Amino acid sequence: MGITIKDVSKAFGNFPAVNNVNLEIPTGDFVALLGPSGSGKTTLLRLIAGLEGLDTGGIFFNDKDYTYKTIKERNVGFVFQNYALFKHMTIFDNIAFGLKVRPRKTRPSKKEIADKVNELLKLVQLEQLANRYPSQLSGGQRQRIALARALAVEPEVLLLDEPFGALDAKVRQELRHWLREIHQRLNITTIFVTHDQEEALEMADTVVVMNQGKIEQIGSPEEVYQKPANAFVYSFLGRVNEFRDTEASAAISYIRPHEIVLRKISQGNSILSEVSHIHIIGSTVRVELRRQDTGALFEAEMSIEQYQNMTPIKRGDILFAEFKNIIVFDHHLENKLDHGGKIGIRNSLKSKLI
Amino acid sequence: MANKRKRHRVLPGFGLSMGYTLIYLSLIVLIPIAFLFLKASTLSLADFWETVTDDRVVASYKLTIYTSLIAALVNAVFGTLIAWVLVRYDFYGKRIIDALVDLPFALPTAVAGIALTTIYAPNGWIGQYFEAMGIKVAYTPLGIMVALTFIGLPFVVRSVQPVLQDLDRQYEEAASTLGASSTQIFVKIILPAIFPAILTGFALAFARALGEYGSVVFISGNMPMKTEIVPLLIITKLEQFNYAGAAAIAVVMLVFSFVLLFLINFWQWRTTKKYQMN
Repeated sequence: MGITIKDVSKAFGNFPAVNNVNLEIPTGDFVALLGPSGSGKTTLLRLIAGLEGLDTGGIFFNDKDYTYKTIKERNVGFVFQNYALFKHMTIFDNIAFGLKVRPRKTRPSKKEIADKVNELLKLVQLEQLANRYPSQLSGGQRQRIALARALAVEPEVLLLDEPFGALDAKVRQELRHWLREIHQRLNITTIFVTHDQEEALEMADTVVVMNQGKIEQIGSPEEVYQKPANAFVYSFLGRVNEFRDTEASAAISYIRPHEIVLRKISQGNSILSEVSHIHIIGSTVRVELRRQDTGALFEAEMSIEQYQNMTPIKRGDILFAEFKNIIVFDHHLENKLDHGGKIGIRNSLKSKLI
Repeated sequence: MANKRKRHRVLPGFGLSMGYTLIYLSLIVLIPIAFLFLKASTLSLADFWETVTDDRVVASYKLTIYTSLIAALVNAVFGTLIAWVLVRYDFYGKRIIDALVDLPFALPTAVAGIALTTIYAPNGWIGQYFEAMGIKVAYTPLGIMVALTFIGLPFVVRSVQPVLQDLDRQYEEAASTLGASSTQIFVKIILPAIFPAILTGFALAFARALGEYGSVVFISGNMPMKTEIVPLLIITKLEQFNYAGAAAIAVVMLVFSFVLLFLINFWQWRTTKKYQMN
């Protein structure tokens, strides 16, 4: 089911959680709402589910006005951040809940419910846990059961609030692939909220970057990463070095650590920098340096192979750093556009090489 | 030595606090109750049996237990409702209502009894309307229930309130996204979570009602076989200097209350265990 969000605003007291948001989600899309905490991404998700009432604007499912439909009528599957599994029910009863509460006329028979639950347990690969209670399950298992429970009512939209927020890194990695697979198999329009840019870029077909209740950019993972609409998107989507230009104080130049090349001999346009720290993190190496001209600290990143191929470097060494892809966002122009809309922000994106 | 090894605790003083607990409980509860049994045992078995199976005594047992039970049930339902309103809604004067709930604790029970009698008497402020419908409140078991409901009110409210406060809304939201109606959410999600607390409140209110004297004697009318409660019979025996007889009635009541409370607590323990398995 396609979802259209039109001029939606929602404030809590004086705090505008979602501020005049427009968003079009086609049927079957896999969307990440990405943003820092307080950016309104969870509120937007809850507005779509009907868990929160909006102040102004409209929400349309397949062009039908769903703005004032109840949660029940929307037929969405919602997976909560802390799973919200019913503690006093077995896993089987948890998954069957959505079917058992149906009015008698539309309620499936006991056998049909059992079949459906077993089918879902198979889908989430936890058939053996039907008779356990939620407290006996691990975090990753609970997450899967929460998803199975949401899918039991055959929703046309699946909404997930920080689905992997409470899990450890390894389980999170597994579940990301697994959720992607489930989406491909069922092809339900899916929206998930995350503050983890890696998760958003890895899983989603469409990434919606939010900040302070507004959408900063909508695009494919590649688009938002390669062509960020503004400084916020650029710096939120990965590690970044910031340089204040002394000549034009309004402009800040940005460069990602992996776009800096370090050499022992001067080549092209490079800046003398002193190594202040070297971090080796698995397959990547991060080198912290200090510019000799301005004294600013910055970070360069390379693969472990590149690092090993270089003649050994250590703290205190003076290297030549070449900045391959500096990006400057004109803050004056951007501020103006903040009031006027988004069109043309991309024009302000200038790329220059120092 | 292996058996000298103590479990490490953040706060020391297990020995001291446990010793204090035992001495305190003994002085305040166990020794007085033991003397009650001792006193009752001065009667011969036949006398004891005759005292406790006297028609008037048996009638009072029945009356006390069933009025207490109904009063505690009424409180379980309406106390939960009050707790719900106090936790879930914001309204003007909420704090005053919250404070009012404790009033039955603070008020001398005799004052409560006299006030209730005045209001519910056939010519009283509320009693006259019941009288018009042919229902007598004061001087009947119904009046006893009113008094017992009054004094037991705070128990259920105060045990359910904090549990309801801590209840995560996410469960209700989850149920509603799965298509449950408000009634289904209450019955299937909220009630199981607060049920142990309701049971606790019910047990406390019930226990309190079994022993209540002050407020009941005024409103009950104290008619033998009809509206005489157990505590009243005990007082009557004491006034006749029949201490052993009073103790005998008290012992039966005590054993009975203990068994009932034990059963309720057991039930509560089982439901809690089921819902909060870890």
